[in-house]
Amino acid sequence: MKVVGARLPRYDGIGHVTGRTRYVDDVRVPGMLWAKALRSPVDHAGIRVDTSAAARIRGVHAVVTHEDVPRNVYGHLEALGIPGDEPLFAEDVVRYKGQPIALVAAEDEDLAAEAVEAIRVDYDERPALFDIRKAADTDAPKVHHWGNWYPHFEGEMDRRQIRKGDVDRAFDQADVIVSGVYRPAAIEHCPIEPQTGLAVPEPDGRLTIYSVTQALYFSMGVVAAHLEWPLNKLKFVGGTVGGGFGGKVDTAADTPAALAALKSGRPVKWRWTREEELLCSSTRAPWHMEIADAVTSDGWILGRRMLTLHDSGAYARFSPYGLTKHSFHHTGAYTIPNLHFDGYVVFTNRVPTTAMRGFGVTGLSFATELHVSRIANVLGIDPFELRLKNANRIGDTSPNRIALPDPSTVPTILDIADALGHELPAEYRTMTRDRRDGELLPEHLVAQLASTEEAH
Amino acid sequence: MKHRGRGISAIEYPTGMNQNGDPSQVWIKLKPDGRVDVFSGTSDIGNGSKTIQTQIVAETLGVPYDWITYDNSNTDSSPLDTGTFASRATFVAGNAVLKAAKAAREKVLEIASKELEIDASDLDVVDGEVVAKGAPSKSISVPDVAVAATWTYGELLTGVGAHLNPFATITDPETGEVDLPPHAAISYASCAAEVEVDDETGEVRVERLWQCFDVGRAINPLLVEGQIEGGAMMGLGLAVLEECYPYYPGVDHRGPEFGAYLAPGIKGMPKVDTLIIENPSAGGPYGAKGISEMANNPQPPAIAAAVYDAVGVWITQLPITPERILRALERKERGEGEPRREGKLVSFDEELSVNTVAAEGSVFQYSLPT
Amino acid sequence: MHLIVNGVEREVDSAPLTPLLHVLREELGITSPKAGCQQGGCGSCTVLVGGEPRRSCLLAVATCEGFEVTTVEGLGTPERLAPLQAAFHEQYGAQCGFCTPGMLMASHALLERTPSPSRRDIESALAGHLCRCTGYVKIIAAVEAAARGDVASDQREPSLADADPSEPDVLIPGSPA
Repeated sequence: MKVVGARLPRYDGIGHVTGRTRYVDDVRVPGMLWAKALRSPVDHAGIRVDTSAAARIRGVHAVVTHEDVPRNVYGHLEALGIPGDEPLFAEDVVRYKGQPIALVAAEDEDLAAEAVEAIRVDYDERPALFDIRKAADTDAPKVHHWGNWYPHFEGEMDRRQIRKGDVDRAFDQADVIVSGVYRPAAIEHCPIEPQTGLAVPEPDGRLTIYSVTQALYFSMGVVAAHLEWPLNKLKFVGGTVGGGFGGKVDTAADTPAALAALKSGRPVKWRWTREEELLCSSTRAPWHMEIADAVTSDGWILGRRMLTLHDSGAYARFSPYGLTKHSFHHTGAYTIPNLHFDGYVVFTNRVPTTAMRGFGVTGLSFATELHVSRIANVLGIDPFELRLKNANRIGDTSPNRIALPDPSTVPTILDIADALGHELPAEYRTMTRDRRDGELLPEHLVAQLASTEEAH
Repeated sequence: MKHRGRGISAIEYPTGMNQNGDPSQVWIKLKPDGRVDVFSGTSDIGNGSKTIQTQIVAETLGVPYDWITYDNSNTDSSPLDTGTFASRATFVAGNAVLKAAKAAREKVLEIASKELEIDASDLDVVDGEVVAKGAPSKSISVPDVAVAATWTYGELLTGVGAHLNPFATITDPETGEVDLPPHAAISYASCAAEVEVDDETGEVRVERLWQCFDVGRAINPLLVEGQIEGGAMMGLGLAVLEECYPYYPGVDHRGPEFGAYLAPGIKGMPKVDTLIIENPSAGGPYGAKGISEMANNPQPPAIAAAVYDAVGVWITQLPITPERILRALERKERGEGEPRREGKLVSFDEELSVNTVAAEGSVFQYSLPT
Repeated sequence: MHLIVNGVEREVDSAPLTPLLHVLREELGITSPKAGCQQGGCGSCTVLVGGEPRRSCLLAVATCEGFEVTTVEGLGTPERLAPLQAAFHEQYGAQCGFCTPGMLMASHALLERTPSPSRRDIESALAGHLCRCTGYVKIIAAVEAAARGDVASDQREPSLADADPSEPDVLIPGSPA
């Protein structure tokens, strides 16, 4: 009986349709406290915090600030050589509206919220930067202790670079140069299940954390790093998440709940409100992309110059990784042999941006595909034909010179043409993804071609 | 007046973390009655990884699907999985599951071979029975194998699997060259959109989406369709509805409830036609590739191109709001919608560029040959 | 005060203005209605009060005194699924499952008053319910299947024999596998 390829209902489907699937918020633990956060109401300020009034309120069992965190600064991607830059709780400065300053654990949510109001914070406001295009202006406000853009790419470079072939020659040989600017927006992951973390101290000194994370071990590592604990003192329980889309990797609720649980000695649940989700949770990044393509009048894309500014918000999070992935794919599904790409991870005083479905490439696909549609329009060429001609084929190489073993661009485009009933001339109708030759191998594509050995 | 238009897009997307180096580990044990326990660290975020991985075990180990319990619930019993992101759950984690199932199968065959006195290489496991190839009357059930393992041979039937695509180092940061493929596989998709634009209100209605996805191998076509359909709505939201910062780059007016933040609802859904292609990957379990993220990538550019086809304006900022449409139409009417042409340069959107917005001398600025 | 929840009379100690959602989840341990937004915006808290779908996050418990409150737990069990639940399962109407209880209650109420709903009727009934995973296509398919009576069984787990392996739409031969 073949199982792979079968249209089987979900393994956990019965639980879903009977309301029995257990999400973090459904876990019941006796003696549980509820948590609420104090968050910055301003975009950029020096701060001084006094939690004493909150701690004195009857029914409040813990107030946690940066002072309670053994290692307050963390970096999500330190394992990849990206240094830590972000405090779990703000110490003496806040860099975005919504940045957490303290967490209160109390008998119920209303009491926790009341205690949050009682925390006294003095804000010494500073100028804020929001427009990534202006981050390099000499009078730009300074957002980050590293400067206004990320400076720690390999070789301590301050940008991600791709260079391939001879882009100046390509622009010289072009019949037309088409340039445009593309700006997709920040959007919310907006899973129906909000960020929720439940930390339970165990009798043996361990801490069990019920987490909505998309990555149990990754989040366990983040919490362990903050607490300076070995991994086996933590037990992460989860694996059943009410939607993530990339927004539940940041480990937003787990460490603060853990610290409050340790300080109070009681289980603590921190469940974000929808307001917090929509106002303070990390978002998909806004991107700013400027593309200039050197093209021939018969529709070959000879070369591409591209500048990308990625809006990372106030901290780095996963942005250097996202920009790197973006740079590796900046030609989209086409073989463009001459490339000049520069990309910057730019800091602004907004909520840090993070991974979201398609990280690094979603906004890129919008930009490069719309740009190709524009080229077709400017040249007066059928948009299917322009794409089919330049489409990746077996043996073509990527921006970083990796041979493509089996791209399906040509078949998928032909299938869409079919579905639309779009007539194509015979030579396009019969195109395949096979290695380029003849008319599909003009001089400018010869040098980028991988050897037949390399393409496997 | 309403205008119709069509636009297309063709995209690609990598499977696995960029530059790889993202391990997944799984272990399997058989109970004394032959039932199978799978311990995986992959979080199921709705993508259906619990289901897919269970299917892979059933197929590979050769036991009925409902003999398997799947446990991804905690880090004490499950080994490391890097995470459910980067479209890696089916390919990378799936490969770990596949390897663990193969290892468990070998153990089962080892015991069966002793019981049947037939070489393991002449045995197969089908629907919970170990049978001799070509002589199906010679067989022993997997439950009986488990009993023999437990009480005759004193063995635990387990299988362990781990998968890691080696980390691809950037050997030259000035060019971006890498020493190994920086992805586990690449998936491809094409999309067409049909829109209707009202030139008086600026409203864009996405009427239809055609989507063609190469998924390598659809381990479960129902789940693949679910990803593609869900991704279509998320792509539509990115294209025409959603934004955190209505006055980006300013941070004001970020809406705190669903009346202000427009996540797509059920009303006004486009008709979605989906075509699934299988061009198997070289390294994925049963040829599978990842597609869950890519599912929301092809729609926005197809929709934007369709808008141009409908009303003759290029909107290069997302979302494509009525306000943006109306302002662009006004500019077009005033004769200001055309790109600047100088020599062979055709230059669009200059008002948005760093060359215009940044201060003189900013390192972000650049010039183009004309 | 007293509530009748899924046919059982329950005593409630919470203050009268406590949202019904909180009473159900925290006091009575009925966790199928979810706290997705607590603004009335997502629909995941939807339960039936007197047979009508209501946002339990916005409803003060005192207003429910004397009414029958029905949640997903009252529709069916894993051993005996309601046809609507079986349809959602077979048609893959639930992915992460978090919006599913609300979708089920609103769909159930629809089918009770309109046994043969048009697609428009289904869209109207579910207009205020957000799903971020499915794109709604298979949710609508599930409700339509339930209305048609096109449900394989009410037993836990359709047998594997029903899940016929399908051929892909396009298979590219000769590719590495």
